[in-house]
Amino acid sequence: MNDPKPRLGGTSGYEIRTQGRISDRWSHWFEGMTLVHEDDGTTLIRCPDLDQAALHGFLARVRDLGLPLISVTPMSSSEPTPGSSQGSPR
Amino acid sequence: MSGYLLETKLHAPKPRPRVVQRARLGERLARGASSKVTLVSAPPGFGKSTLVAEWLGQQTAAVAWLSLDADDNDPARFWRYVAAALQTAHPELGLDAARALEPPEPQIDQAIHSVLNDLANLERDVVLVLDDFHMIDRRDIGDELAYVIDRLPAHAHLVMTTRADPTLPLARLRARGELVEIRAADLRFTEAEAWAYLNGTMGLDLGGADVGTLEALTEGWIAALQLAALSMQGRADPASFIASFAGDDRYVVDYLADEVLARQPPDVRRFLLQTSILDRLTASLCDAVTGGGGSRAMLERLDRGNLFLLPLDDQRRWYRYHNLFADVLRTHLLAEDPDSLPALHRRASDWFERDGDRSEAIRHALAGSDFIRAADLIEPAIADFGRTRDEVTLRRWLEALPDAVVRARPQLATALAGALMQTGMLAGVADLIATAEAALEGPAAATHAGPSESERVRLPGHLAMLRAGYSRITGDLPNTIAHAQRALSVAARDDHLSRGGAASLLGLARWETGDLDQAHRSFAAGMASLEAGGYRSDVVGGQVTLADIRIAQGRLGDAVDAYRRGLDLAVEGAGPPLRGAADMHVGMSGVLRERNDLVGAREHLAAGRALGEANGLPKNPYRSRLAEARLCQAEGDLRLAFDLLDDAERVFFADFSPMVEPIPAVRARLLIAHGRLAPAREWADRARVGATDDISYVRQFEHVTLARLLLAEGRVDEAVPLIDRLVAAAQDRGWVGAAIDALIVQALARQAGGDLTGAVGSMDAAFEFAAPEGYARVFLDEGPAMAQLLTLASKRGTLPSYAGELLRATGPRAARTPARRGLMESLSERELEVLRLLRSDLDGPAIANELVVSLNTLRTHTKNIYGKLGVSSRRAAVRRAEELDLL
Repeated sequence: MNDPKPRLGGTSGYEIRTQGRISDRWSHWFEGMTLVHEDDGTTLIRCPDLDQAALHGFLARVRDLGLPLISVTPMSSSEPTPGSSQGSPR
Repeated sequence: MSGYLLETKLHAPKPRPRVVQRARLGERLARGASSKVTLVSAPPGFGKSTLVAEWLGQQTAAVAWLSLDADDNDPARFWRYVAAALQTAHPELGLDAARALEPPEPQIDQAIHSVLNDLANLERDVVLVLDDFHMIDRRDIGDELAYVIDRLPAHAHLVMTTRADPTLPLARLRARGELVEIRAADLRFTEAEAWAYLNGTMGLDLGGADVGTLEALTEGWIAALQLAALSMQGRADPASFIASFAGDDRYVVDYLADEVLARQPPDVRRFLLQTSILDRLTASLCDAVTGGGGSRAMLERLDRGNLFLLPLDDQRRWYRYHNLFADVLRTHLLAEDPDSLPALHRRASDWFERDGDRSEAIRHALAGSDFIRAADLIEPAIADFGRTRDEVTLRRWLEALPDAVVRARPQLATALAGALMQTGMLAGVADLIATAEAALEGPAAATHAGPSESERVRLPGHLAMLRAGYSRITGDLPNTIAHAQRALSVAARDDHLSRGGAASLLGLARWETGDLDQAHRSFAAGMASLEAGGYRSDVVGGQVTLADIRIAQGRLGDAVDAYRRGLDLAVEGAGPPLRGAADMHVGMSGVLRERNDLVGAREHLAAGRALGEANGLPKNPYRSRLAEARLCQAEGDLRLAFDLLDDAERVFFADFSPMVEPIPAVRARLLIAHGRLAPAREWADRARVGATDDISYVRQFEHVTLARLLLAEGRVDEAVPLIDRLVAAAQDRGWVGAAIDALIVQALARQAGGDLTGAVGSMDAAFEFAAPEGYARVFLDEGPAMAQLLTLASKRGTLPSYAGELLRATGPRAARTPARRGLMESLSERELEVLRLLRSDLDGPAIANELVVSLNTLRTHTKNIYGKLGVSSRRAAVRRAEELDLL
């Protein structure tokens, strides 16, 4: 994997993993993002294009739902974003 | 509008009967009451507010409760609500603060100090609760609150509930034992509490094992336990529910909320979803939104059924849903019936408009994407925003509208242009102004009726004022003047803001062109308009400018009057003085220094400093340092003067006023006066001033400085024509302050050229301006050459008494600070060598040894050195030499 370097003034993709399977009903809440339900009972939220301010706003929304946050990882730009919100990419 | 306070936000939720007793947390809260701050920090649904409200119910302290929302993320509004909350706790609290925060110019520092005063004077315990503090993320509010916390009296306590730790110095508070924290791990229900809650409060009949399973599945998260309890109510077999809950890996709120909603009768379910768009609920509003009746009964039913409805007042008239539950409901609404949203918001917007809450009406219109309606609602509110100066809210609304809507309506485009400029954003402003002007001239847009007749009359003047302001910011002098004049000719008599703004801008532009009389007249007229409009702190700040112009006119007495007026205005009314009072003291200090009252000048500087940095205008940090540097020069402390000038440059702040006396030029004068010509010449090169430049008002100070430099460099031939031109222009155009300055240099130039009669003539011309106003330092800060000129003038001049008075003032000081003598009699190579050794740690015999001379010879050298430097000790000699760059 190449080394993604998020920058303060730039945008970058992020993968945010939370505990629990989030219903697709919340997709408007996570507009423009892809929800991937993993087999281990977590949800991977793929955000293709966030700047730092949007990332913090997004984390506040995760907080406001009481979703336990597991990880926030910058995505490598070469990694494809799956079009479907169902199923595991693996 | 921003003056409109929602009382429901000041209401502590009333604990329900039969809530779980949480003794362990009560103890901790009690401990919090004896420290300064209690922080209840956890994700939503952990019972933070309930815990605090329940605990407060058992306290004897006066309680001020404030539930914050996203709109409170604005300092003036935040503190306005804090003041209102304090008033509910005790009538003597927050009254002055509320007054200080009144529009049009909320005084936040003043409000904070009067809150602290009130708290200190109250003779009983008081608790301020800031509920949902995570809504506040502005750094300045955090800083202000930290300031308050530091100064809280012992009997005052702050309790905050929040989902995210606030930006306060928590580590410091912890270290001092001033912070008690209650966090998620403390708040989660223990098994015993879960048992009491499920079987007691929620009326279930669960066994210990089932309770244990639920507690483990929800990890004690109270919101989830509540949803689970609602799902199980009336179920014959709770165990099977628990088993399927345990087997599901969905986000617990999703799973449980689905269960709860699925179990509601259709009318309840529909009511919940439709009203989820509301931040606050009351029966008639719900009737309007759902388009049916019976909302009162429905709300009572939900309240009784524990369906996440929180009462906001004692009469149970207003409610809100628990935030987390409201989010769930909205999500269901959006997924199931997205097309209903515009109509729901429209009905809510109509209801709020009828109820007189325009902000909420606008919010719902925007949320329902009904932009035309939003624009119709915003337009009539613009004038109020002009008065309250709440540009941030206005800008947020206008930016939420599509560009096309704003551009089609001149009122909106004008308001956005003004709001952008007020908040320092220039991009797009010129375009918006042009669009508004074009729209005003063209036929009204088809989508709406267009501005009212009175707005059609008001807008052109306001737009012209905005254009003038924009031209001023972008440095376009002719257009500043043209647009300001146009604004004044078309603005309505009672449009104080446009008239005041335009006249002030015109005054500043004329000052820059050197038309001082007109400048003063225009600026003073601008201040009169602003005063009529109630913009008191603008008028206070404006006094500095009026005084500056007076000083440029050589009218020191009138400048003092302006400062006094500024001070009077600033201290009018109760509480600490308005911002700008410190600037008045700095200004007074400058005039007193000029009049050679150095003690008085010091006192005013101290008085300005005593008011604190926060009391000064943004330019005060540099102006106060500049004033002190000049005072130090007069007192003979050169090193400090240079340091202060460096400091002043570091904190320099440019405002709308022309920079008449640039700091680098002030420093160059100090350098010239003390013989350091090389760095002064560097200044002249950098500043690009030349002896043959055209004379202009904004550069005259630099040109007079250049003339001094040329004279000091012995380039009299170049200095004389320049100074003669400067004297002529200054006298001709009424730049009296500059004229005195230039005449003095002219006198020195003539003296240097051997024309003593001419020199005395220049002195007499300077005295004519200087004597009536008591100018002194402008003469005294000159070197010994001035003493000779004053002597001559006191014998042969037309104002011998004034010259004699000044001469007496130079006498003792000249003897005490013979700085200039050192320059006239330079040190020999040998003496410089001795001087360098005097700077070392070596003692006398050791230095004599080093130089291979006798101790007596060394003494002769040092005596000569001391004499030339005008000092009487080794330390002073070294210091003096360093000042003169001799080492």
